[in-house]
Amino acid sequence: MRYHPLTIFFKLYQLIKNSFFIIIILYVIQGRSDFWLYEYGRYAFIVFIILRILYITVSWWKETYQWDKQAFHLKKGVFVRNFSTIPFNKIQNVTRQTTLFHKILRFTSVSFETAMDGADDTIKFDVVTKKHAAFLTDLVQKGEADDLEETENKFELEDKVESVKAKNEGKIIHFEPTKRELWKASFTSLSFLAIIPITAGLYDYVEPFLPKLEGFAESFFQSKWLIFLLSVIAVIIAVSFGVIRTFTRFGKYKISSNERYIYIDRGILSESNFAIEKRKVQGLQMRQTFMKRLFGLTEVTLISSASPGANDDSVNVNSLYPFLPISQAYALIEQLLPEYQLKTKMSRLPRKALFVKLLRPSYVWLIATGLLFYFKPKPFDLDITWWIYSLVLLGIIVLQRTLDYVHTKYRIDEDQVQWWQGGLTTQMFVTKRQRVIEISTSQSLLQKIFGATTLQMMNRSTPVQIETIVDVPVTVARFYQQWYQERNKEMN
Amino acid sequence: MNDIKLEHKLAADMPKVRIISETIGNIIGFIVLAILLGADVYFEWPVWIGWILYGLIVFTVLGTIWAFIEPKYLYRSWSYQIDEDYLQLTYGVLKREWVTVPMTKIQSVSTSQGPILRKYHLRTIKVETMGSSHEIPALDEPVALEVREKIAISAKLKEVDE
Repeated sequence: MRYHPLTIFFKLYQLIKNSFFIIIILYVIQGRSDFWLYEYGRYAFIVFIILRILYITVSWWKETYQWDKQAFHLKKGVFVRNFSTIPFNKIQNVTRQTTLFHKILRFTSVSFETAMDGADDTIKFDVVTKKHAAFLTDLVQKGEADDLEETENKFELEDKVESVKAKNEGKIIHFEPTKRELWKASFTSLSFLAIIPITAGLYDYVEPFLPKLEGFAESFFQSKWLIFLLSVIAVIIAVSFGVIRTFTRFGKYKISSNERYIYIDRGILSESNFAIEKRKVQGLQMRQTFMKRLFGLTEVTLISSASPGANDDSVNVNSLYPFLPISQAYALIEQLLPEYQLKTKMSRLPRKALFVKLLRPSYVWLIATGLLFYFKPKPFDLDITWWIYSLVLLGIIVLQRTLDYVHTKYRIDEDQVQWWQGGLTTQMFVTKRQRVIEISTSQSLLQKIFGATTLQMMNRSTPVQIETIVDVPVTVARFYQQWYQERNKEMN
Repeated sequence: MNDIKLEHKLAADMPKVRIISETIGNIIGFIVLAILLGADVYFEWPVWIGWILYGLIVFTVLGTIWAFIEPKYLYRSWSYQIDEDYLQLTYGVLKREWVTVPMTKIQSVSTSQGPILRKYHLRTIKVETMGSSHEIPALDEPVALEVREKIAISAKLKEVDE
């Protein structure tokens, strides 16, 4: 089967969107320049565009896809033909994105992310009808279910397929942000600050066209209350801008699940729907920036072995709501993934770990101080000697490390490991023993003096997720190794 | 943590081999630096290039001295263990490492041999997993082949698991 013909249109749209800046530079800003780079560049660019358009059209004609009960069969490439078969059970998560483009035309896009090596590890349908997208998703999920059943008792198969179907239908909604939460999110995300670079950029563009009213401008800036008024207006604009931004991004947010899948739906203008099978979640990460800690909020991310393609939107699609109140986050995790039991009682670092942290040489500080000593900069015409900056930096580093000491907590027991750490921004990581693909412990000379070690673990993801916890007592390292070697208990 | 000893050690010739290969590397390093220094004087390059070169010379001299001390201790620190389920490695002079890799996660195992290793009939084993790669340097040839076989079998047998 061929991809939908609108795919051509979509790819052209993307081509224009991506080369927009080049077009502006070549034909508008440097439009009259006869510097050879621009002059030939203009011709080369036209040739490139024509070739690209030809390629897009031909590849639409040549590239096809098919499916059967268990796999997708794809034909790719124009010059180098490439046939691949991707079984449904290799698909880790499904993301459906409906951008403004899709919305206007009433279409959508679906991608099936796999965790195989190689460049073409996502099966992407750039433009599909909603009906076909739903069909493909169903197909994949059913294929996965069949795979699941095969490994179990054959006698009850029919029963089970029925029950899987029934369970798939019963979606439970776990979270939808309230108005109050959105307001809170608007302020914690500090997204209203985003207006500063935008206005600055805009001003640069507009400045040449502004009428030169020197006398007026001077008297204007001399009156203090006018400046005050202007700042107030600027703040109001900035805040409302931030609020609108947050509302459009996180307004329609829905986390739901059924027996087998977790669904994250979000977005108003451009929508995205993310689905991951519960047993394919490799671990959980909770991140708290300084601002979020002040408000008691956190962001929970599901670690999946296939990374959902980094999209133009800066929010990860696999993140549960980025502004969850802590207690709600814990409850949500336990509802979504009952196999994870988050513990609040965790071990702290011994006092001597603080010494290790403070005594560890900071290369950032050493290099920065070296550079400061050499250049002796005086930024913003401030009359401050260079070593003051060095001291301030040292202060920040000491604070960061002390906070890290305070925040570090860990718990390794039964089949689960959970640790918190970090200075200004803290993070927690939880995973199951069977999900850890490799561990290591290490000890530097400094750590040896104080009997401290570093633990590290690796989880499947793209690229692999490496988590470390620094300066835990030696006994914990031994226990950790032993604990990991008992992982066969879960592997049976 | 420094008292951990796993079942097997590297080949006894390992320090010798390492000193030879490090020395060759350092000699080449010195030659390159000497040429650069000569060019620096001859072409009158900017001052800071000279500084960097002197800095590099100091590092190379220190590195060369270290290259004669380290191998003996590195040899003593190295040990590895292979059983049905795990590959374990521990090594490191200044910083001690202890790595545990489940057999099921190993994706490939290979042996390699450079000219110096060949002279002493040694081989290096390289193990790759989904996200990392590890080396057991300098094993006696028959041992190396046996180890490779063992890892290959254990890793493959468990493939059915996942």
